[in-house]
Order: sequence, then structure tokens, then C-alpha cells
Amino acid sequence: MTVFKGYMKITKQNIGLIIMYLAIFMGITVMMQLSAKDQETGGYRAESVRIGFVDEDGGALAKGLEEYLGKIHKIIPMDNNKGELQENLFYRNVEYIVKIPAGFEKRCLKGNEKLSVTKLPGSYTGFYVDQQINSFVNSAKAYYAAGYTSEEAAEAIMEGPEPKVKMLDTGHTKGETPGYAYYYRYIPYLLLSVLCYVLGNILSAFHKGDVPKRMQASPISGQRQNLEALLAAGVLGIVLWIICILGGIFFYGRELLESGGFVYYLLNSLTMLPVSLSLSYLVGILTSNPEALSGVVNTLSLGMCFLCGVFVPLDILSTKVKTAAQFLPVYWYEKANDTIAEFENITGGVKTEIWQAMGIQLVFAAAILCVAMAVGKRKA
Amino acid sequence: MIQIENLVKRYGELLALDHLNLEIEEGEIFGLLGPNGSGKTTAINCMLALLKYDKGTVRIFGEEMSPDNYKVKQQIGIVLQNVAVFDELTVYENIDYFCGLYVKDKKERKKLVDEAIHFAGLEEYTKMRPKKLSGGLLRRLNIACGIAHKPRLIIMDEPTVAVDPQSRNRILEGIKELNRQGSTVIYTSHYMEEVEQICTRIAVIDHGRSVAVGTKEELKSMIKTGETITVESVALSDGQIAAVGALPHVFDVKYKEQVLKVRCTRGKHNLMRILSYLQEEEISFGRVFSELPTLNDVFLEITGKELRD
Repeated sequence: MTVFKGYMKITKQNIGLIIMYLAIFMGITVMMQLSAKDQETGGYRAESVRIGFVDEDGGALAKGLEEYLGKIHKIIPMDNNKGELQENLFYRNVEYIVKIPAGFEKRCLKGNEKLSVTKLPGSYTGFYVDQQINSFVNSAKAYYAAGYTSEEAAEAIMEGPEPKVKMLDTGHTKGETPGYAYYYRYIPYLLLSVLCYVLGNILSAFHKGDVPKRMQASPISGQRQNLEALLAAGVLGIVLWIICILGGIFFYGRELLESGGFVYYLLNSLTMLPVSLSLSYLVGILTSNPEALSGVVNTLSLGMCFLCGVFVPLDILSTKVKTAAQFLPVYWYEKANDTIAEFENITGGVKTEIWQAMGIQLVFAAAILCVAMAVGKRKA
Repeated sequence: MIQIENLVKRYGELLALDHLNLEIEEGEIFGLLGPNGSGKTTAINCMLALLKYDKGTVRIFGEEMSPDNYKVKQQIGIVLQNVAVFDELTVYENIDYFCGLYVKDKKERKKLVDEAIHFAGLEEYTKMRPKKLSGGLLRRLNIACGIAHKPRLIIMDEPTVAVDPQSRNRILEGIKELNRQGSTVIYTSHYMEEVEQICTRIAVIDHGRSVAVGTKEELKSMIKTGETITVESVALSDGQIAAVGALPHVFDVKYKEQVLKVRCTRGKHNLMRILSYLQEEEISFGRVFSELPTLNDVFLEITGKELRD
């Protein structure tokens, strides 16, 4: 096991580098997952806007609109003084001003006159409040048509017909994507970057100058040398994977351990390991210059992660990109990861889908390893 | 011990080895002498089965050499032209690693590594990494890595390139010591002084061929030159140069930049005859040298060019 021990000794010399990269990538991974969680497009939350409210009508419906908007926004009653209103808008004391004219009911509900509003130019909150006012006015018109009085219509709109929804929260995530799903989403980047850097450095030490000749002239067969090298890479990969898993448990604790997909997250990341190892081996064989290594590793890891749904969720990627990404192993990792996150209780067809994605990753790993060994033999 | 027969190696159009034949006996320090590009390193790589050759056979210890002949490889130590060590390991770890490829027993290996360190004079540097060693020390580490397992055959490919004279002498003395301890050494170099100093037998290689083989005395006796006489003289006429060329035993005269070079066959009083002629002609002269033939003269006469070209 001399070759294996040699790899381990050189790995030991690189331990500072490994820790440094682990810390950097862990930090980046956690930061990116936090920012990605905030940018998620699936969840909505009501925005509160400061609205200046000028009521020249004082009727039941006008009061009803004030109350309706007040449920979400902060209402600031104001006098109809043009200068004062403009000043408040200019200094951003309010973002939106709505004027209720005298005879509101007659002019705007029975007639077709539009409410006078003033808003900040280009502000999305303006459109947002517009929609709510339109919703109120349309509802009021509907209630009038049904024979409601102003008071009754205002009361009915305030109560609102709320549909009763019963949510089955099987994953206990309250319908949200759990944080650990993001953590596992970024694992390929961590594995690819760290393994490619470290193994690349080790392999470049073995390919430097006349060292390969000295190894070739030794009584240890090339096959044995390759096997011991693979074993050493495997040990390094397993250790890194365990650190990743422990990192996940450290960050998410019981939430992760008790989730229905935990075992599948483990298995999926474990199948990503041979993919990362074989890619690292190929990179190490192709790149004997340590200076070039950094560029190659960055291009490979970042490129693959951008194309395959690590940094940008698969849902957002275009069909063309997704079609191209299917020829890369990380895509299948992310596909399985998304499925596990979506269905925390994994059964039947979902289970088959996840196993298939993991199987494809293993086929990729075997293919890349074969290419790496062929290249290694050709270079020898 | 080693028989190389009709070895042919081509790199595309270039014929690197042209039916090379060599026979090396056990216990020799066998020198492969030739200018850069003459085929020495290619011959070594073919011997070690690091390169596939097109034709011929290489037999070592009576067995055909092949990439998977690990029994033969076990008994060979190599010191390559470029330093082949790991920058990430210390001096001790490097020697231990390369010795470990041959010797599995930890105790025995430790003893061998300590001996190699002592042999190379690296006792003070065992914990240092190669990048901190000087060129000479690095070469000594390279040698220690190649010979630590006490091989029966040591192949050294230009181990003293870019080494200071002090380290070079230590390396050369070390090679003689290894030979005294029982190892057969094949030593390639384009420095004729080194080869003359340590080798018991020499093969002169040119264009991938062995053009002459023998001891240094045998090689020198193969050529016409017995003595080269050099005289510093300010002015010589063409007639006077021709007269010197006509003296007995003289077969070549050159006069360039006020230096007269006269090559003579073996014979007594060659120097006296030339000096007497200069005195008779009242030609003033400065320093006078008489040199016995060198391997460079051997190479020059056989190939028509200098070794240092």
C-alpha cells in the first residue's frame, strides 16, 4: 500500500488547503442558500404601503374603502390641500394618495367615473394598491347590482367570501421548501470544487517531472498503482462527504433528521460522490500544471452548477438549457434533490424517479472514470 | 548481465536508436558517452521498458525486459536526468516512499533509508522539503531515492547536470562506492572527464549507434593521435607551418589565433623535434603544452565532430 500511503501523506500536506476550501465553500453555500431562499418566486407576502386618504364624501362606502385598505396598509387621513399632498408625496411621507369625491357612490359606483389617485412614478406599490381599490369598487358594484345598500355592501366586502382551504402538510414544512433542501442543492458545488482542487494537486505531484517514470520503473504494476490511487481518492471523498453530512445535521438538526427524505438526501449525495471523484481524477490527469488547475476547476464546477440547477433552480431554467443539462451528471442530482424536497413522504412512482436519477449519476461516474483511465494510459 | 541487440527506436521520421548493440558485464561501471541527442536517454528508457522500441531485444539478468517483468525491475535502481521527487514530502519521506516501492519490511526499510541518507550526506536535511535544498543537494536526494533499496543494477542518466563541482565530486565518489559494494552501474553523460574518471568500460554513442566500445585505454589506442602539441607563437608563415607538418610522426597541423596545434602519432621526441625546428628558424614562442589523447579526440576521430558540439 505504498502508493496509497504516499497519497495520504501528500493529502496531509494539503490539509490546510482542504480546511480553507471547506470553510470558504461552506460559508458561500450557506450564504447562497439564504439568499436563494429569499428570492424564491413561489411565496407571496402582503406589502404595507403608507396611503394618504382624502375623504370628501364621508359616506358608508367611503368609510368601508378606508377600512378595507387599512387592513393591509397604513392609512393617513389628509385634507384636500394640493400643496400639502404634493409635499407629503415628495418627502415620501406617503406613497399613494386616494381622493374620495363627494357623491362617491353616485359618481363612481353607479356612474363610471374613476377615483382620483396620485402615486409615485414607477413604483410597484402603486399598481399593488390600484388592484386592491379596483377589487373593492368591482365588488361594491356587484353587491349594488344584487340590491345591497351602501352599508350592507361595505360590510359584505369587509367580511369577504373566504374559501376554506385544508392543507395536508405531510412534510411538516408548512408548504415551504425546507432549508436543508437548499443545503443539499449546493453540495455538488462543494464536492466538485474541493475534490478537484485537492485531487488535482495530488495528481499533479505524481505527474511532475520524471516521477511517473520512476513509478513506472518500480516493481509495482500500473494497475495496482491506479487501484491504490483510487482507494486513496475514495477515502478522501468519503471523509469530505461525512463532513458535508455532519455540516447539514449541525445546521438543521432534528428538522433534517426527522424529515421523511433524509435517507434519500444521504443516498443522493453519496451517488454524487463517485461522480465528483471521477471528474476530479480526470481533471487531475489532464491538468498537470497547478497554476492551470484553478482555472479548470472553476470553469468545471461553476459551469456545471449554473447549467444544472445548483445556483439557478431547475424550474427557472429554459427548456433548451435543461435539455443540454441532461447530459451532465449534476442535473440528475438536482432533479432527484428537487423531487425529494417536493415529496417528503416518498413512495411509489416518486421513489422510482429518484432511484432512476441516482442510477444515471452512477452511470455518469463509471463513464467518466473509464475516460480518465484511458487518458491516463495514453499519457503514460 | 545486460545484452542489447539490434535495438531500433524511431520517433516518426527520426531514427533515435539505429541497431544499437551493447553487452554489459556484472560489476562494471559502464559509461554511455555521447553528445546531446545522440540517443543515450532513449537507450536507457528502452532498457527500462519505459519506451516501446521498434526492433531488437533487451535482456537483463538473462531475462527479456518487459513492462511487466517486476522480478527484474525489483533489482534495478534508477536515477533520472530530471529530479524526480515530491515537493510535498520531506527528504526522509521521499527516500522512504521510493524505497517503499521495493522494500515492504518497515524495519529493513528504515535501515536502508538511514544508509541512503548517510551515503548521500543528507543527515542535516532530513526534515527539509526539496524546494529548500540547493541544486547539488537536490541531485543527491534524487540519487538517494534511486539507490536506497540497494539494487543490483543502477542506471544513472546524466545525474550531474547543473551540479557544482564539489557536489559533482561527491556524487562521482559515491558511484564508485556503490560499485565497490557490488552494484553494476550504467552511467550516461556528455561530460567526458566524468566518464574517464569513473567508468571501467565506455561505449561511445553517436546517432543512436555504438561507434566504439572498450576501456578508456582501449578507446584511445584505437585512434591515430598519440599526442597533441600546442605552441603559442606570434607569427608563422605558411612555409613554416608546412615544414612543421612535414616533420616525422606529425599528421595534422593547425594555426589559428597565434596558436599552433600539432597532432602526432605515437612516437618519441615529438615535442623536442618541433621545438628544435622553431629554434633553428629563430621563431619566438611562448607557452608550450603536450597532451595525451582524450575521449574527445576519440570521438573527433571516429565521428569527425567534437563531443561538446
